[in-house]
Amino acid sequence: MSPSAEIAVSVERVSRSYGGDQPVVALAGVDAAFRRGTATAVMGPSGSGKSTLLHCAAGLDRPSSGRVRIGATDLSALSEKALTELRRTRVGFVFQAFNLIGALTVEQNILLPSRLSGHRPDRAWLAEVVERVGLGDRLRHRPAELSGGQQQRVAIARALATRPEVIFCDEPTGALDTQTAAEVLSLLRSVVDDTGQTVVMVTHDPVAASYADRVLVLADGRIVHDMPQPGAEAIAEQLARLGRRQTVATREG
Amino acid sequence: MLELAVQMLRFRKGAFVATFAALAAGVMILMTCALLVESGLRYQGTPQWYAGAVAIVADGELTVPGPELFGETESTTAPLPEGGRVPESLVATLAAVPGVAAAVGDHSIAVTAPASPGTPVTGHGWGSAVLAPYRMIAGGPPRADREIAVDARLAAGGKLRPGDDVAVIVGGAERKFRVSGVVGAAAPRATVFFTDAQAARLDPNPGSFAAIGVLAEPGADRAAVIAAVRAAAGEARTYVDGRRGLVGQPEAVAARALTVQAGSAFGGYAAMIIIFVVAGTVGLSVRHRRRDLALLRAVAATPGQVRRLILGEVGLLSLLAAAVGVPAGLAATAWTRDQLVTRGFVPDTFVLRGGVLSALAVTVAVAVVALGAAWIAALRTSRIRPTEALGEAAVERALGGQVRIVSGLVCLGGAASLTGLTGATGGTTALGAATGMLYLFVLAVALLAPWINRAAARLLAPVLRTVWGSSGYLAAANLRANARGMVAVLTALVLSVGFGGAVWFLQDNLQRQVTVQHHEGTLAQQALVGSAGLPAAATARARKIPGVVAATGVRRTSVIVPNRLEAQAVPAQGIDPVGADQTLDLGVRAGSLADLRVSTVAVSTTQADAAGWKLGDDARLWLGDGTPVTLRIVALYDRGWGFGDVTLDTETLVGHTATGLDDHVLIRTAPGADAGPGLADLANAYPMSAVVGADRLSGELAGDLAVSSWLNKMLIAVLVGYAVLAAANTLVMAALARTRELALLRLVGVTRGQVKRMVQAEQAGLLGVALAIGSAVAAVTLSSVVHAVAGVRIPYVPALGAATIVGGTIALALVATMLPIGRVLRTPPVEGIGIRE
Repeated sequence: MSPSAEIAVSVERVSRSYGGDQPVVALAGVDAAFRRGTATAVMGPSGSGKSTLLHCAAGLDRPSSGRVRIGATDLSALSEKALTELRRTRVGFVFQAFNLIGALTVEQNILLPSRLSGHRPDRAWLAEVVERVGLGDRLRHRPAELSGGQQQRVAIARALATRPEVIFCDEPTGALDTQTAAEVLSLLRSVVDDTGQTVVMVTHDPVAASYADRVLVLADGRIVHDMPQPGAEAIAEQLARLGRRQTVATREG
Repeated sequence: MLELAVQMLRFRKGAFVATFAALAAGVMILMTCALLVESGLRYQGTPQWYAGAVAIVADGELTVPGPELFGETESTTAPLPEGGRVPESLVATLAAVPGVAAAVGDHSIAVTAPASPGTPVTGHGWGSAVLAPYRMIAGGPPRADREIAVDARLAAGGKLRPGDDVAVIVGGAERKFRVSGVVGAAAPRATVFFTDAQAARLDPNPGSFAAIGVLAEPGADRAAVIAAVRAAAGEARTYVDGRRGLVGQPEAVAARALTVQAGSAFGGYAAMIIIFVVAGTVGLSVRHRRRDLALLRAVAATPGQVRRLILGEVGLLSLLAAAVGVPAGLAATAWTRDQLVTRGFVPDTFVLRGGVLSALAVTVAVAVVALGAAWIAALRTSRIRPTEALGEAAVERALGGQVRIVSGLVCLGGAASLTGLTGATGGTTALGAATGMLYLFVLAVALLAPWINRAAARLLAPVLRTVWGSSGYLAAANLRANARGMVAVLTALVLSVGFGGAVWFLQDNLQRQVTVQHHEGTLAQQALVGSAGLPAAATARARKIPGVVAATGVRRTSVIVPNRLEAQAVPAQGIDPVGADQTLDLGVRAGSLADLRVSTVAVSTTQADAAGWKLGDDARLWLGDGTPVTLRIVALYDRGWGFGDVTLDTETLVGHTATGLDDHVLIRTAPGADAGPGLADLANAYPMSAVVGADRLSGELAGDLAVSSWLNKMLIAVLVGYAVLAAANTLVMAALARTRELALLRLVGVTRGQVKRMVQAEQAGLLGVALAIGSAVAAVTLSSVVHAVAGVRIPYVPALGAATIVGGTIALALVATMLPIGRVLRTPPVEGIGIRE
């Protein structure tokens, strides 16, 4: 396998700043590559740029400079429409909340990307996905009738339905209790292990991060740690250290 | 995408109710206007009279080439107010046309039958009875000058049989006739037949006919005959088929003009308001669903797909609205038609015709407006990047770009420059000017609303804090933070206050102007009023009465003037200028009424402005029967509303009005002189006449106006109602969209009472601003239009009306906000916070 075929997503010297008069730098020249068939957790304190990194990597946002590729496709060259089409065929999303369209049933929500792209859904695959997330008896329900954990599972099913190369998750367990969070995270893990898909997940929860193969820690728009799965305790310690350092920095400043 | 749109509509019924209501009501209003126009255009009077003729040659309309605009000359065709005439000589010409069996000249003479006073009667010569095949029911045709045949309607009303004596009033004098026979026919008006010679004598315009009917030879080629008649008729028009019904039926022509004009003018104003309302509601509903749309964008939808989804929803809603609005419009039009018939605006032969075309046009028009509004709203939502959308859904955006503020200021400037408008004459034109100005003002307010809201919030914050304490503090913060979200609410409130205040009161002002001018301009104390008309001799006779200083015969008519934009029929009066300075004060600005002769004319200052005339100019205009005249302008006067925009010497009008009679004689008596018995004699001398105080003349005028403005007021009320509906709609939508926010407030410890007081404080702030701006807009619009058309600086505002507008707005805002907020507050806050926006 060539190196580019092994890399699902790569970000090269990506910077992103917001605002006009006093620009806020959210990302300052980040380099990262996410290999196929792995799960990566992106962590960091609030305002570290982790969500921005996710948005840029997923083609939801455009970097101010630098380059993002999904597979071999360079996102900076794509129009808004082409970007959307790429998102719905090659990328899946799971957000913290407000993941589903209230007007649609569970099944319709899952099929939304294929419907929007005008493709005939693969019924067998759909059945398998539904089976895997354990929502077989809920297909006709509306999101408002589901619990938070069930809603996240619907979102994961939707992300899987198009067989995307990579699934981006933004705090997928942020609104869930520990037990439900564990279920959702196991599901995400199984996606990587069983189907060989790639998961990039932003989280602040060390337990959630411990389900990943690799943990990236961001601070002030830069990657400060890049570690292979060190275990929840080590992650927590790293974060705590980061927190202290920041406090000290603030005092000194 | 359409399937998805259907699902969205079904799931979020509540959120779409407001848009649906605005659309359906809009369809209903436009449908009513369109159907009135369509029915008017298709209305052809009653063709029964003249049913026997293959073609009618007459001159009922005048085509005037308009001014050259953008290199194109558009001509205006106006119905002749007094009906046109065709010369007697044309009969022989037409009779000579091959294939024509006979050409029959028809006199049409206004007759009053005291036996059945309410029925309008037309007199004809017996010769023209062949034009409408009449059946002889009893007796025979009139053979001698003192004989008449009456139709069955009159015979029944006056219990007449052949051989009876009957008095009828013709040309202002009572004449005795013997009934020779009774005829039956389905003519639109009651009819009497004189002998042809008698009819020719009684016709006030000798030497001419009202119309000439052409009878074809049996077996003649109808089309060829008509073509030949058309060629032979020269300048006169040839009417065939259904159009024959319009000849000789001034009420049918008037009904046609009224429905077409009122329908199209109000349709236009309604369309403008509907654009505002629909754009506002659609924009608001899209705004409230931004999180859904943002999610769609993030997950899989291209900007185009989101746009198509929104367009699909709104398109479906428009169709649904049409399905409800069109039948409602049909019902509303039927009701309006009945009212118009009852009030005597249109004859009861006026029926609603068509509807398919109107329904189609209205549905398309409303759908286009709605889709346009949706497109603009969707453009904004779908252009932004999905992450911005995800974040922005919860947080208010910045106030708006420079484009917005610049276009707002341009609109404001445009509206302000329109305040200097001059040259509006008719009531409809004034209404148009007011609506146009109002539209620009409201557009400016809509564009500048974010800044207005923020400035108001800043200004009002100390007041709200003082009055409502911590609730007031929260209210001020909300007003400031939500400056953009409240745009639609502010616009709707300003629209209803401004519209109600300006257009409704404008109608009052115009009416009042007429009455006041007429009252102030009448110097005579008494007036001889003859409902069957008064001959010129009445004025001469009145002058001879001891104690009478001056008497002026007044003949009301209309003339057609070539105004700058288009030729228009304007009210005019013919007066006997001798001693008119004693009975009338027209408020002469320049020149003198003493110079009024057959070859001269006096015009109102507004009319002079509208046509670009100056004192001493030669004015070219058309008399009521279409005769062109060129008259030198010898006086300009102010009181055009009270007395008509054009004042002529009665001599100029001789032979050019339908009856050739005066309407009333103004009589000035010397102080202390007792002219009573002399005046009583005068009234006795003319049938169906009476001497009344001149005040009563003004009073009757006001009464007539109130009747004739019924349609205007009704339509204005509907438009104001629509603006109010829109305001209520946006208020309810805005209130219901706050479920989450209010739940959050309560979760952090704000009590229900405090939330309620907070909303009240917000309402007070918003209402205060809306009322202040709305009243300012109404005041500026009203006073500038009233000034332009009537020369009065301070408009007349009835206290009750002002109170209704202020009170109504407050009641509306309270009901449309406090009720939904009350409902929102009944849901437990924990549940509320879980509800997705």
